[in-house]
Amino acid sequence: MRRWAHRTHLAGFLACIATACGTGNRAPLSAGITVTDDAGRAVTLARPARRIVSLLPSFTELLFAMGAGDRLVGRTAWCDYPPAALAVPNVGDGMPPNIEAVAARRPDLVVLYRSAQNAPAAAQLERLAIPVVVLDLNQLTDLGHAARILGRLTDRKQSADSLARVMDSAAAQPPAPSTHSLVFIVWDNPPIIIGAGSYLDRLAALAGGRNVFHDIGSPSAQVSIETIAARDPDFVAVLSDSATQPSFAARPEWRVVRAVRRGHFLLLPGQLFGRPSPRVAQAVRELRRRLNGEGGAP
Amino acid sequence: MKYAALLGVALATVAAGLLLGPASVPAGEFLRSPIVWQLRLPRVVLAYLVGGALGVAGVGLQALVRNPLADPFLLGLSGGAGLGAVVAIALHLPGPWALPLAAFAGAVGAMVLVYRLGLIGGTGGAGGELDPRILLLGGVAVGAFAAAITTALVSLAEAAELRNAFLWLWGGFSAASWTTVLVMLVYAPLPLAVIAAAARPLDLLALGEEPAQYLGADVRRLKQLVYLAASLLTAAAVAMSGVIGFVGLIVPHVCRLLWGRLHRTLIPTSFLTGGILLAVADTLARTAVAPRELPVGIVTALIGVPLFAFLLRQWTVS
Repeated sequence: MRRWAHRTHLAGFLACIATACGTGNRAPLSAGITVTDDAGRAVTLARPARRIVSLLPSFTELLFAMGAGDRLVGRTAWCDYPPAALAVPNVGDGMPPNIEAVAARRPDLVVLYRSAQNAPAAAQLERLAIPVVVLDLNQLTDLGHAARILGRLTDRKQSADSLARVMDSAAAQPPAPSTHSLVFIVWDNPPIIIGAGSYLDRLAALAGGRNVFHDIGSPSAQVSIETIAARDPDFVAVLSDSATQPSFAARPEWRVVRAVRRGHFLLLPGQLFGRPSPRVAQAVRELRRRLNGEGGAP
Repeated sequence: MKYAALLGVALATVAAGLLLGPASVPAGEFLRSPIVWQLRLPRVVLAYLVGGALGVAGVGLQALVRNPLADPFLLGLSGGAGLGAVVAIALHLPGPWALPLAAFAGAVGAMVLVYRLGLIGGTGGAGGELDPRILLLGGVAVGAFAAAITTALVSLAEAAELRNAFLWLWGGFSAASWTTVLVMLVYAPLPLAVIAAAARPLDLLALGEEPAQYLGADVRRLKQLVYLAASLLTAAAVAMSGVIGFVGLIVPHVCRLLWGRLHRTLIPTSFLTGGILLAVADTLARTAVAPRELPVGIVTALIGVPLFAFLLRQWTVS
């Protein structure tokens, strides 16, 4: 019903444009939707996308949040939120995208994360005449921008824009005064930590947590345990869906780190913390609660 | 004389590894700091032991297969260890030591397989004799097969952490602790002694298998013992620190160029030099780009290759 309403609305809108510039004798090219994506490509759709394949969990969440979830016809194996996403056919892990599986869904729009690994996939899909939009999604600030572009391509401009405003304001918030310091550990051997160029660093700042590796500009980096011990964070945060401490907590070399010795782990579920998502405010609240409350403040 | 010099450099290397690090330790607290005692010292000692073990394993294998390109990891062990590590992660094997143990098991599994392939003539263990050429071919084949299974597991499994198994495999001493040092100290002496005891027969083997046999070496037994000892050293090294290539390949050559071809000299100098190379490389890996860290294998190649090229040049010119 609602979709029909939109379409008739759009038809009326287009008719207006047609009459407005009706002095020329050629059909207006602006009949479709054109956006410029983050790879600098012009993406043109004849009409709002109705069969979308999303190749990143964050895009899937954004599309559901703006009310376009029912247009998804494909998602990655990692897209597990909202629960309704699980009903969308899985086209693989997306790393790299399985072009045949994607094409078999007959999409009229593929949403692809911008990365060097995904560039060949974008080119291949283009050769198959499947429209592709390539978007950045590394930082909190990328969320609002991605929502606006997806809103235009799906003709959900209004809800997308209000979603984008919420996320922009979350991203633009001044960092809360830091109450605790923490380190995000992605992998223990060799130790890989999260640096400033990442979503989690910003998320921590919003929650009042100071990333002790904020001085490292890249999203992640290998460091030595010695450096972690010397920076002496209050908490060790790991993305984990289990409730038990990671196995490296029992290793003698890690126990030199005070937070490891004291068992001050923040076990953050990957679904909420593993990627930038429209639920950023919830993630910030949750992290703040864990920093200040349960888990034993230092 | 050369031993005094080498020991001096070795001690200086360990001292530098203790003094240098990304964290600044106040001089007054130096002797009490857990960063020094629990992290730096075990790490530099482990790096030294692994470097020495790889150097000696390289000497043994190069003598055994009479091929200057032989590297301890050429014989399929890195592939086996990688497969073990990935299986441990994929199956979520519990416990802090699951990964190194699984890697060790994988390396030993590959070793047994390559050994069986290389054992020709006679049936069973009794009459067989190792053919060095088959060992090399079998090692490359087993390694490639294990690597293929590893890559298939990584690309098919849905666990994102599997990708990190490769990080581990590239090598490093992040997991160094007194426990790992102790394991190495208990484990390594036997295979090291086996290779050291074979110094004279290995010299004879350089003349060819038949001449060595005539000169009184038990060639069949020698090859089996040296192969097993070198492989077990390498398997322990890979379990402690992943695949650190190049040390086992280059260090024997460096020692041969500097101190001659006799194994009585080559084996101890390779242990000392391999340790120095890896301990220096690890200290640089920790400090050069602090607070970040470089993979130690990269540093090993960056300092080892120019050194090796220089020595090679000196040697070919003279």
